[in-house]
Amino acid sequence: MFNRRRFLDALLSVGFVSTAAAMAYPVARFLVPPVSGEPPVDSAVAGRAGMLRPNSAAIFKFGTTPGIVVRTAEGDLRAFSAVCTHLDCTVQFRPDTSELWCACHNGMYDLGGNVVSGPPPRGLQKFTVNLRGEGDDAEIVVSRT
Amino acid sequence: MLTSHAPPTAPPVHSRAVLARPALAGVWVLFTLLVGTHPLHAQATPPGANGCVACHATQTDPRLATPAALFTQPDVHRENGFACVDCHGGSASSTEAAAAHAPAQGFKGKPAGQALVATCARCHSDASFMRRYAPKQRVDQAIEYAASVHGQQLAKGDHKVATCANCHNAHGIRRISDAKSPVFPTNVANTCAVCHKDTTRMAGYTLPGGAALSTHQFSDYQKSVHYAALTKGNDLSAPTCNDCHGNHGAAPPGVGAVTNVCGTCHAVFAQKFAASVHQPIFDKGCVECHGNHAVAEPSDQMLSAGAGGACAACHTAGDATDKGTAAAVAMRTGIERLKTGIDDSGSLIRRIKNAGIEVSDEQLALREAGTKLTLARTEMHGFDVARVEAILADGMKVVASVDSAGQKGVSELRFRRRGLAVSLGAILIFVVALGLKIRQIDRRDHERRATL
Amino acid sequence: MKVIDWVDERLDLSGVRHFVAHKGVPLHAQKVWYYLGGMTLFLFGVQVFTGILLLLYYRPSAAEAYESVQFIVTEVQFGWLIRNLHSWSANLLIGLAFAHFFSVFFLKSYRKPRELTWVSGMLLLFLMLAFGFSGYLLPWNELAFFATKVGTGIAGAVPVVGTFTLRLLRGGDDVTGATLSRFYGLHVAVLPAITTALVAVHLLFVQRQGMSVPIGVERKLKPGEPLPQMPFFPNYILRDVLAWYVVIAVLAALAAFYPWELGTKADPFAPVPAGIRPEWYFLATFHTLKLVPSHVLGIEGEHLGVVVFGAVAIFLVLVPFLDRRASRGQPSRLFTWLAALGLLYLVSFTIIGHYAK
Repeated sequence: MFNRRRFLDALLSVGFVSTAAAMAYPVARFLVPPVSGEPPVDSAVAGRAGMLRPNSAAIFKFGTTPGIVVRTAEGDLRAFSAVCTHLDCTVQFRPDTSELWCACHNGMYDLGGNVVSGPPPRGLQKFTVNLRGEGDDAEIVVSRT
Repeated sequence: MLTSHAPPTAPPVHSRAVLARPALAGVWVLFTLLVGTHPLHAQATPPGANGCVACHATQTDPRLATPAALFTQPDVHRENGFACVDCHGGSASSTEAAAAHAPAQGFKGKPAGQALVATCARCHSDASFMRRYAPKQRVDQAIEYAASVHGQQLAKGDHKVATCANCHNAHGIRRISDAKSPVFPTNVANTCAVCHKDTTRMAGYTLPGGAALSTHQFSDYQKSVHYAALTKGNDLSAPTCNDCHGNHGAAPPGVGAVTNVCGTCHAVFAQKFAASVHQPIFDKGCVECHGNHAVAEPSDQMLSAGAGGACAACHTAGDATDKGTAAAVAMRTGIERLKTGIDDSGSLIRRIKNAGIEVSDEQLALREAGTKLTLARTEMHGFDVARVEAILADGMKVVASVDSAGQKGVSELRFRRRGLAVSLGAILIFVVALGLKIRQIDRRDHERRATL
Repeated sequence: MKVIDWVDERLDLSGVRHFVAHKGVPLHAQKVWYYLGGMTLFLFGVQVFTGILLLLYYRPSAAEAYESVQFIVTEVQFGWLIRNLHSWSANLLIGLAFAHFFSVFFLKSYRKPRELTWVSGMLLLFLMLAFGFSGYLLPWNELAFFATKVGTGIAGAVPVVGTFTLRLLRGGDDVTGATLSRFYGLHVAVLPAITTALVAVHLLFVQRQGMSVPIGVERKLKPGEPLPQMPFFPNYILRDVLAWYVVIAVLAALAAFYPWELGTKADPFAPVPAGIRPEWYFLATFHTLKLVPSHVLGIEGEHLGVVVFGAVAIFLVLVPFLDRRASRGQPSRLFTWLAALGLLYLVSFTIIGHYAK
């Protein structure tokens, strides 16, 4: 009986410690800030300033929808939602005409996001662009407002 | 208020040879120029000279009173300083009917038919004159009109056809940018329908092949996507009658021209169709499958040689030798497969998203698959199975990658359940041990009490 | 020297030691119901703990609430676990609170001298429902938005003070971000403060007065005969802990096998989805209100319904003072029947409300 009591106490301690650990571990991991930092509601990082040469553009992820950031020939950075307002296809940049083009039904937008020709009923949603940092390594931060 | 004209003296014939009467057009042009050089009416009458309205407004006969009343409403001519005499002639300052209506004063009465066109064209075909009031406005409306079906019929003596006043009104003319103007985009179809819906008026007119001209174009048009876009979608660039038939030079597009007309907006589809096998075969181009006035929202159901499909008009379903049927089947099955793939991936992603897995990359990718589906439907208008299948294959690749990511999400969920099973195991051990401990303590207390 | 002795030297724990050594729990056939209170308290503790964890990431604004919950569930390590624990524990907590309430009601533990324990307990039950209602809106999804709209609309049906109450709850005339802020403040600050105070009072009374014994058992005792007891520490407390561990296991299983949905983000301009209804713990009252005819004897049906529910709530709070027979230690058949009727009504109307279109 002495052995059994010691065994039972040992089992109890092991059980308690393991269950406590199984509960403490998730809580500890929860408290550590996740990689993404904060909910990507209103802004996203579109890349580094150096990756865009004048008269070029890049698609980036804005939440669950695609966005497009354009560097004009003069060097300005502009960003729009890349979702065509006609049937939701993803637009692309045409360096030959410096316009945003939707391959699905030939919708064309100028670099102000306004519809130039084709079926889109409205212009592209415009985003605000800010640079965080200096030079070519600066982060391009695109926000909804 | 649209004025009606006297019935024709000879049975009218709707001729198909629209382009074979340039001579008549030339005569009209000369006529309008001749009348237009009359010095007295080459400029606007000074304001204040409106004896016409003063008398006509008091008349009981509505044919005399209404125009005067309308002219005092918003009217672009009156606002620019023009008065009754500038179109009708006569004298504005006379207070006595005979003097006011004197032919010597150039009184024309109520112009009708070609005389009406000439009256309008006197100013509106004069570029230097129009430049003083509306420099960007075109000055070739009369020439266009002469080439139109309306113009050609009028030249043959048919007075049932529309002239300037039927569409623009004669008095109370609003600018075409005014939403109340009968030729504002949302009103154009109603204006055309006033005559073209009227079975009595349109009786006797025929199409080039001899078939009677229908009167249900307007009711058909009201069922179309174009009408919905214009009236409900507030899209003023959506086509109405004049966009396909022309404004003043109104006539049906004609064989071989339909694709060009539709292609002015639907450029990509027209391009692909023009390079396709159907281009030389289809008389009516886009209209063969999509209709002309009742253009409905297109659906994948149309791509079929079976019942309800547009291909069934020429191709036989189930016929192994019919290449068109085979193409339709191939393209349709591919499109349906991609659609189903996107839907299934979408529900998988939604399921694991709700369980707490991060899926924004996958949702983004599914958009791309949706884009491929739209592109495939566009490419289909080239009727080239290989090209359509190439796009569909790209779409299926995207769907496959999303599916594999989804499967990873599902296995993550399974991993969580396994983690839970392990912790439940630990809890079970502890609970059993605790239960035994409680029993042990109870027994110890019982024994202790028993020994007391 | 043991830590406990070090503290005893400074704070004199002799009272505590005496209490712990001598506190007992009565032994009889109905003792299993004693655990319900402790389990409810444990779940409340789980709610506070997981709630505080969620607080570290949640953002209480209409623009960010949904996204922050989504963030917690998808990006934060084990965020899905904490969130699901919080949602499931809320439901279990209310279920256990009702079970605790009914067990006390049936066993007449509310009788003299425990009237105030009952009153504080009833208030706690209402507070738990308020927690459930306010917390439900916080993820700011479609279902929550419309359920809140309907629920606060019913609050507006109270005569005289209805409109004022509705505006007070909603922070305006409609359910907006202002409502979210308000409910958030209520859920994380106001209600916890009041609840903590009431729980302290409730527990103090229970510890002071000991556990109540069913009337039948009491009457069978011969005068002077003590009722057999189990030492509170360690016998009863270990059993309590056992029960709590079982609850943890159940919670964890629910969290992993039936994860709480995120839903779609609330859109104030979207039409009400068909078949909108509140959470199960409000279903019985909700469905009852739906069945009341629009006008009864000239009074608007909804007003009448709300007034009747209010009257029932007040009646329930006053039960210890109304049940004369129980306070005299006599069997009280009437109130047993009332309790049975109440239980039957709640269970059946919850089920009917769930399956009704």
